[in-house]
Amino acid sequence: MTANALAGLKVLDLAWVVAGPAIGRSLADYGATVVRVESSTRIETARFMGPFPDGFADPNRSALFGTYNAGKFGISIDLRSEGGQAVLEDLVRWADVLVESFAPGQLARWGMAPDRLHAINPRLIGLSSSLMGQTGPYANFGGYGNMGAAVAGFQTIVGSPDALPIGPYGPYTDYVGPRFGLVALLAALDQRRRTGEGCWIDIAQAESGVQFLAPQIAHGAATGEYPGANGNRDASFAPHGVFRCSGEDEWIAIVARDDAEWETLAGLIGGDATDARFATLAGRKQDEDRLESIVAGWTAGRSAAEIEAELQGLGIPAHRASSSEDMLADPQLQARGHFVTLPHPLGGESVFDASRYTLSETPARYPRTAPHFNRDRDFVLQDLLGYEASRVAELDAAGILR
Amino acid sequence: MNGWLSPYRVIDLTDERGLLAGSMLARLGAEVIQVEPPHGNRGRRTAPFDAEGRSCYWSAFAAGKKSVVLDLADAGNRERFLALVATADFLIESETPGYLDSLDLSREQLRAARPDLIHVSITPFGSDGPKRHFADAELILWAAGGPLHPNRDNNGVPLRISVPQAYLHAAADAAAGALIAHLARVTSGRGQHVDISVQQSVTQATIGSHLAAAVGHAGFSVLNPPQTPGTKAKLDLSGSGSRTRRSKWVVRDGLVEMHLGMGPATGERTNNLFAWMREANALPAELDDWNWVTLPKRLESGELNEESLEFARGAVARFLADKTKVEIQTEALARKLLASPINDVGDLLASEQLIARGAFQTVTEGDCTRTIPWAFAHGPDDMFAQASPAPQLGADTAEILAQLSNTQEIDA
Repeated sequence: MTANALAGLKVLDLAWVVAGPAIGRSLADYGATVVRVESSTRIETARFMGPFPDGFADPNRSALFGTYNAGKFGISIDLRSEGGQAVLEDLVRWADVLVESFAPGQLARWGMAPDRLHAINPRLIGLSSSLMGQTGPYANFGGYGNMGAAVAGFQTIVGSPDALPIGPYGPYTDYVGPRFGLVALLAALDQRRRTGEGCWIDIAQAESGVQFLAPQIAHGAATGEYPGANGNRDASFAPHGVFRCSGEDEWIAIVARDDAEWETLAGLIGGDATDARFATLAGRKQDEDRLESIVAGWTAGRSAAEIEAELQGLGIPAHRASSSEDMLADPQLQARGHFVTLPHPLGGESVFDASRYTLSETPARYPRTAPHFNRDRDFVLQDLLGYEASRVAELDAAGILR
Repeated sequence: MNGWLSPYRVIDLTDERGLLAGSMLARLGAEVIQVEPPHGNRGRRTAPFDAEGRSCYWSAFAAGKKSVVLDLADAGNRERFLALVATADFLIESETPGYLDSLDLSREQLRAARPDLIHVSITPFGSDGPKRHFADAELILWAAGGPLHPNRDNNGVPLRISVPQAYLHAAADAAAGALIAHLARVTSGRGQHVDISVQQSVTQATIGSHLAAAVGHAGFSVLNPPQTPGTKAKLDLSGSGSRTRRSKWVVRDGLVEMHLGMGPATGERTNNLFAWMREANALPAELDDWNWVTLPKRLESGELNEESLEFARGAVARFLADKTKVEIQTEALARKLLASPINDVGDLLASEQLIARGAFQTVTEGDCTRTIPWAFAHGPDDMFAQASPAPQLGADTAEILAQLSNTQEIDA
C-alpha cells in the first residue's frame, strides 16, 4: 500500500459555499487532514442549496455541500467570540495551510490579519479567495456568484446574438477560481519545503475567470473586437449545435470538425444535406440556418442514444446533452468511478464526485463524508489540539462550540 | 529566483486541448518545453486570429514556454525525444489514448527513460473506459459532463458558453494533478501517471446539479428552486418575464446584473438602491414607504402584488437607464448594492481593478505585441516568473538539443 500524496499535511478550512471549499476538498482526497470550521448558527449558503437526498431539504445533507466537503473533519465554532478566536489561534498554530473566503478584511476585524497569523505560525501558507481580490479600488465589491460571471465577462457570451444575454449556469467563476488557487497553493507547499517560509496567496475569482478568456483578451487588445453571444454556434465549425431528439427534453450535441465529417454526416441524412453548397465550411456558415434545420429535421425522429451511437461509430463528434439521470447511467462515468457513494452517519448514503485527477500510484481516497454540524468536535479539539475533555466541556458550556 | 517552480523542467506535448496546463506551470517559473511537429502545434492554428491571421489562442496559452521542433512520428527522433524526457520532471500530453504506445513511447517506456517522471494525460473522456475513443469537440464534452443540459436559451434549447471552456477546466486540473503527484514524489521518490478526463473536469460547472439523480432529487434545478412544503406559491421576486429580464438592466453603455432582492437576506441591499433613488428624486411617491426586508409580508397579505412590483421595476429601469456601468459599479461599492456591470472584453481591458492589480502584461511576440493575463494569483514577489511571450516555432530547438548531446557526452 502506498502512502497518500499529501499525508501529514494539516489544513484549516474556514471557507464557505463553493470556490473556497473546493480547494480543501482536493487536499483531503490525497490524505491531508482538513479541519473545516463553520458556524451552526449562521449557516453557510451551500448547506441550504440542493440537490438533497430524495428532495428533502436538510442542511446536514446537501449534495452540493457534500461534494465540496467530503473527506474533511467538521467543527462548529463561534468565531465572533473571544473564546472562539482563541481556539482558532490554536488551530492556526497547528496548521500548515489556512484557506478562507470571508469578505476581504473580515479576518483582520477578528484580529486575525495575515501578519498576526504569521507571527503565530511563520510557516503558515494562507490562501484568501474572494470575488475581486484583497487589494485594488474594488476589493470590497462583493456579492453573489452570478455577479462574478458578470464582472469577469461571462454574462455577455452566453445567449442568442439577438437577445439579452442569458449568462452561464450558476456562479461560473466559482468553478474556475479554485483551480488556480489550488495550483498556487501546491506550488507554495513545494516552495516552503525548500525555504521553510510561509506566505499568503490572494485569489480573485474575477481574475481567474479572465484567465479562461485569455485568448479573447489578447485578441481584443490586438483588434478592438470583443466576443458576443452566438448561441451554440462556433466560427470554426458547422454544424456546431444542439438538436432536439425524439424523447422528452432530449437533446444531442453534434459537431462536424471538418468537411469530411460533414460529408459523412450528410450522406447519412441524405436529401438536402447533400447539397453541394454545403461541401465547404464557408458554404455551411453562409446558410447555417438552413443547415441546422436540415440536421434538426433528421434528429427529431431519433433518440439521442441512437444518434450518439451511430455518429460516434462513424467518428463524428456527438453526445447527448446529459441530464443528471444520463450522467448517473453513463457507462464511461461508471467505468471511471465518478460517483462515490459512502454511508452517511445520519442514515442513508452520501453521493459525491470522485477526484478529477486519477493518480496511478497514490490514488484519491474517500475515508468519510462531508461533516454534519460538529461531527468531529472531540477529535479536533482533543486528538488534534490536545485539549482536555473538561476544557471542551467548558467551551461548550460557554456557547462557543456552535 | 524567478518563479516558485523554477527548479523544474516540463515537456509539453499538448495541443490546443491542454496548452493551459503547461502555461500555468511556466508562469510559476517552470522551464516548459513545447515539443512541436515541423508544421507547428495545432494551437498555432486555433481561433481567435488577429488581422494578420496569427492565433491569439497560442499567444495566450503558450506564453512563457520554449519551442523545440521534433517530429515524433519520425522513428529516427525517438531516442532523441527519450533523452529529452530523461531531463524532465514532468511530461504533459493530450494525445488520443494509445497513440503514444503506437510510437513506442508508452508510459512504461517513458518512465524507463526517467524513472521518477510525472506523466500527465489530458484526454476527452479519460485514458480508459468505453468512451475513451469517442470523437470529441468542446461542445460534445460540455454536453457529456453536465453543464450544457441545465442552461437554456429563451426557446428552451440547452446553451453553451460562446467561448470554448471545457478543455480549459481540464488543463487547469492537469496542472493541479501534476503538482499533487510531484508532492508525493518528494517523499517517495517515485513518479506516476496522472489521468485527466475533460468530461469529469467539467462536471464541476453545474453547481452540483449533476448530482441530483444520484441522490434521488427529482426535478432539481437551481433556476427553479423546489417549493418548500407548506409555503404559498413562490413569488416572482421582481415582476413577470424571463429569468434574463428579471436580472438584466439596460444602462447607457450596456447592461447591469442586479436582482431586486427582498426579505431578510438581501432586502437591505434593495433598500440601499431605493435610498440612492430617493436622494436623486427618482423614487415615485408610491414607493416611498417600501421596505424590501419586510416586503414579502405585504405581498403575502395581498396589499401589494405583481403589478406593484412591475411598477417598482419600471422606476428602477428608468433610473438606471442614463447611467454608465462604471457609475453603477462605483455606487454599488459605496452603497452596498447587489449590482454588477456586465463586462465585455473591452471593459475587462479597461477595468480599473484589473489594471490596479496588474492582471495583464504586454509582451513582444515575434513582430507583434500581445496583452495577456499572466499572474493568476497574488503572493510574494518571487511567486511568478517575469512575463514572456509564446515562442516562435522551433526557437529553442538548437539550444535544447545541444544540451542533450553535451549531457550524453558527459554520460559517455
